[in-house]
Amino acid sequence: MRKFFTLLSLLVMASMVLAACGTPAPATQAPAATDAPVATDAPAATEAPAYHGTLRVNLGSFPDMLDPQKSSFVNEIAVLKMAYEGLTRLDGDLNTVPAAAESWKYNDDATELAFTLRSGLTYSDGSLLNAARFEYSLHRNIDPATAGEYAAITDDILGAAAWRTCTESCDDEKAAVMESVKASHADGAACTGYEDADCNTLTLKFPQPAPYFHTVASLWVTFPAKQELIEAGGDTWWLDGANHLGNGPFVVSNLEQGVNVHFTPNEHYWAGVPTYDLDYSFITDGAVAFEAYKNNELDINGLAAEDLATVQADPVLSKEANIYPGSCTFAVMFHQLKAPFNDPKVREAFAYALDREGWVTDVLKGLGSPTLTWIPKGFPGYQDGETRWGYDAAKALQTLTDAGYKVEGGKLIGTDGKAIEITDTFSDTPRNRTRNEWLVAKWKEVLGIDIPLNPVEPTTYTGLTKDVNTAPQMFILGWCADYPDPQNWLSVYWKTGAFGERIGYSNPELDALLLQADGELDPAKRADLYKQAQDMLVAGAPVAFMWNNVNTYLVKPWVTGLHQTPMDSGWIGDNDPLSITVSEPTQ
Amino acid sequence: MATGNVNHIASLDATQKKVSRTPAQEAWGRLIRNKVAVLGIILIVSFLLMAIFANVLSPHNPIQLNSGKGFLPPAWVEKAADGKKGEADFLLGTDTLGRDVFSRVLYGSRVSMMVGFAPTFIIIALGTFVGMMAGYYGGRWDNFLMRLTDIMYGFPDLLFFIIALISLRDTVIGQFMNGLFLLFFALALINWVGIARIVRGQVLSLKQKEFVEAARSIGVKDSQIMFRHLLPNVWGPVIVQGSFMIPGMIITEAILGYLGLGLKPTTNPDAFFITSWGSLMLDGQTSINAQPYLLLSPAVCVALIVLSFTFLGDGLRDALDPRMRGSQ
Amino acid sequence: MSTYFIRRFLWLFPVLFIVALITFVLMHAAPGGPWDRDLSARQVDAGTQKVLNAYYGLDKPLWRQFTAYVFGDVSAKDGKFVCGVICGNLGPSYRVRGSSVQDILFKPPKGKSFEYSRFGYSLRLGLISLAFAIVLGIPAGILAALKQNSWADYLSGFISSIGISVPNFVMAIFLIIIFATGLHWVSVVPKNWDEVKAWVLPAVVLGFGTLAFTARLTRASMLEVLRQDYIRTARAKGLHERVVIWRHMLRNALIPVTTILGPALAGLVTGSFIIETMFSFPGMGRAYVTAISQRDYSMILGTTLLYVLMVSLANLSVDFLYVLIDPRIRLEE
Repeated sequence: MRKFFTLLSLLVMASMVLAACGTPAPATQAPAATDAPVATDAPAATEAPAYHGTLRVNLGSFPDMLDPQKSSFVNEIAVLKMAYEGLTRLDGDLNTVPAAAESWKYNDDATELAFTLRSGLTYSDGSLLNAARFEYSLHRNIDPATAGEYAAITDDILGAAAWRTCTESCDDEKAAVMESVKASHADGAACTGYEDADCNTLTLKFPQPAPYFHTVASLWVTFPAKQELIEAGGDTWWLDGANHLGNGPFVVSNLEQGVNVHFTPNEHYWAGVPTYDLDYSFITDGAVAFEAYKNNELDINGLAAEDLATVQADPVLSKEANIYPGSCTFAVMFHQLKAPFNDPKVREAFAYALDREGWVTDVLKGLGSPTLTWIPKGFPGYQDGETRWGYDAAKALQTLTDAGYKVEGGKLIGTDGKAIEITDTFSDTPRNRTRNEWLVAKWKEVLGIDIPLNPVEPTTYTGLTKDVNTAPQMFILGWCADYPDPQNWLSVYWKTGAFGERIGYSNPELDALLLQADGELDPAKRADLYKQAQDMLVAGAPVAFMWNNVNTYLVKPWVTGLHQTPMDSGWIGDNDPLSITVSEPTQ
Repeated sequence: MATGNVNHIASLDATQKKVSRTPAQEAWGRLIRNKVAVLGIILIVSFLLMAIFANVLSPHNPIQLNSGKGFLPPAWVEKAADGKKGEADFLLGTDTLGRDVFSRVLYGSRVSMMVGFAPTFIIIALGTFVGMMAGYYGGRWDNFLMRLTDIMYGFPDLLFFIIALISLRDTVIGQFMNGLFLLFFALALINWVGIARIVRGQVLSLKQKEFVEAARSIGVKDSQIMFRHLLPNVWGPVIVQGSFMIPGMIITEAILGYLGLGLKPTTNPDAFFITSWGSLMLDGQTSINAQPYLLLSPAVCVALIVLSFTFLGDGLRDALDPRMRGSQ
Repeated sequence: MSTYFIRRFLWLFPVLFIVALITFVLMHAAPGGPWDRDLSARQVDAGTQKVLNAYYGLDKPLWRQFTAYVFGDVSAKDGKFVCGVICGNLGPSYRVRGSSVQDILFKPPKGKSFEYSRFGYSLRLGLISLAFAIVLGIPAGILAALKQNSWADYLSGFISSIGISVPNFVMAIFLIIIFATGLHWVSVVPKNWDEVKAWVLPAVVLGFGTLAFTARLTRASMLEVLRQDYIRTARAKGLHERVVIWRHMLRNALIPVTTILGPALAGLVTGSFIIETMFSFPGMGRAYVTAISQRDYSMILGTTLLYVLMVSLANLSVDFLYVLIDPRIRLEE
């Protein structure tokens, strides 16, 4: 018996000790802040130091991967883009502006692109950053040994696709890419390595004209993580915050998996030094994150549709809500090869029957805007005034009847007199449940057709929708811009063999038009060609364009100078962190 | 003489009948004297009636959308956090699409009651059968049961449910009964060993008793011994254990529903199972600021029904085994 | 008796093997694979997927993948033999590429000690919750039994009922609203898990069920002991009531309680994924649930095996403890 009590008390004590072990003296509680270069430099200054705030942002779930050439998720990019910077970047109006590269130049037929780096460019520790670093990043991105999940984005580079998908004896393919991505001196002389200060030119070669590629170069896959740190750190080099020695506006000062990423300003950033620290939290539960925001533990947090009405009714919170257009278009995808949607008239009828305004008010609670076209507002290539296939209940039924269809007993009867089963497949999340419940209820109301719901586990759903043979008859899917260029919207999605193929879409006429547009050097002509292409796309009603998302953030009043862009991915204003100021919180 | 004798026996018979009731009657008597257990029974019966007559009791069809009436607060709220006022028509307010929360909670009771009872029946039937075989015949049956128990006890329940439900939900069994069948099946699969172990233990001790020995020695068939003599004696502990299992399963359904693994949604307004308390709580969790009653109402219902079954279980245990009064 | 325990211990290996097999079959029955992303992300290009499958051996037949996981196989990278689970290698994670599952679970961040690994965090939370459950649950149960049918009994019964009947995600959000947003006693999201108060809410929510169970069990077993003859004898002898309670009653009444400690700890460490989501806790419970939806096969198998091992060892140690504490018990099958 005594043994038992000893054991019990040991157990209790052990847990107490464990809990207590975790409590260091108060002085060491904020190691992150004291490590900051700002703090150590501060005593030298004679004038009163300006308030040095910390911007606290919730990013949701913790990144699985923080490797510029392997990452692909929004929360991963949000970390990387603070620590690193690519050759170019996007400004507040989505123009591509110089970043690490001071300028760039295409050759006459846009099959070659040369970037010239800023002189005196350094990493955050003051070490030299030359073109050879970017050359390494692009090589590493294409290298099949890296097998980056976003690697295909640079396939426009000559030989890239071949090397990237090569599985054995790839020396020839590798050599080809070494030639088409090359760092050099301004006069073309070969670089001698990472210490070569005159190595400031990076030349890329394309098999086809690619006049949009300077925009692609703003993506994280070009971020120049250091080769020596990657190789010394092995496969998990990125887990150690110290290995993220970058050229972005911030420096990673603390990286604790699952808990926190803390940044301090980069004193060597070419465009200036941010005046605040940046701190990322990782709260996955929306209701908990909202409580944290209300409790002044976060300065920026996403705003969910469910909380919108509460926020708008609150005199304080309503002033802190920021709602502005996003970068995605959502549509009801119809499988072009599966009955009844192989008939364009049925697709038209279902598109007519879609009350987009009602959807936005009832389901999205106003957090979205209805659309009838593909490229969203605010992006180059947006076409105002599209009215085709807009909501019209009478026309919807009329179109069906005219095409020889009937609706009887909740079923769609085809032209051959046979009933056609229609189901609505969706990825089973609580949000999607309510959305699709609304959708089929409305179709029932307008068309009189009963459409059973088919919820599928999310990853299974992804697997189904990837392949033209398993893709469901009808489902909602969206596309979000990788970079703001019509090429990314139209060619990357709708060309034969691209993403649109999963619903069986293939239009040779459109392909020809897009090929012409992609290679066109005159911006005005190019824009016009893309306009024609989008017109052609909408005319065939391949899908029912439905809505554009909006970015919604709550921002505390002491955070000012945010530049909203549709391409904000991690948080509001993250494309231009230098313009943000954080003043002292008022409780 | 003869008549007198008969009369005497008859009267003895009559007095005996009056005094000694069957064990089941005695247990029942003890059960209904237990106030808390009676409260539990009343609540369970009310929930059962609620589940059966949900379609009659609901003021609205639970999947009826009401455009523009999303997130109404309960009827008695004058001004909610989002500035809306309750409507008398919607007693507990509405959800994001304007569906009546009260009606949805009523319908949700169907799934919870089913999830409490259906797997329990499977568990009891299967567990009693295997436990009886293992206890009576021993040998291979017994080894089989004990090895299976080791595996089942080692597999953390929730983890098994999650992986089984995700893996199989898009197969034929996963689609059957809107996904409920798979849920029952998984719940039963994990829990039946517990019952089997109890039955085995009871049978092992009963096997040594004189009446079994006697029956065996006069050549009664094994199957008859098992069903006539052993079965009636193992019912008590099995029923008690079963009543403790029910609340566990209701909570599990709620948690799985919260993880999005419960009942699949339906669009058919005449469907029997439309929503479950677990899925309602999942909706309620995301909209806790806008409409807290979407979370509160099903949470209170789950708590009540779980408590009722716990009370009933306590009462049953005390009633069926007076010696064990108050112990686990 | 030692042969009994040795036999029980050896039997763990076939159990682990069968569990691995069941889990393997189930997870491969689910459509989709580790490179399928949720729809908000851009999907991995088909060519890259092929390269990745070849690298991880996912292009091999399923039985080969299973034996490779359990026993080991020749690596596609350099042709060397890589040992499987039997050597303690839980396999490569497909989501956190470059890390093995054991690294993700057991390796602390650079410069920190073991308790800062995911497993360490979960273990600490489990121990604290268990301590909370025992420290409050046992006295509550004792008090309830000694003062049967008093207000103390009813109060303890009421609190136990809450612990058993309210799902923990509901309790978590309400406690956050009350103690963090309302009273500001703790922060909603602890940035720093070195602060003691950060652990309070997660431990309370996680341990509440165990607390309720412990209190009920203690009460029941105290009541059982109360009626025993030796207690009556002790009282009749005129022993002081305190002596009777401490020396005679508690000793015997707490035996059943000890038997739940092991499984309870295993249950607390493994069953924390909802708590982890609600409190943004960096433990290992969430790793399992996200791994299933991400089809991170090694992670699913690795965590499952780890859990099964923990639960089985806990059960075994309970039986062992039982024999040590109570010599009346004879173990046999």
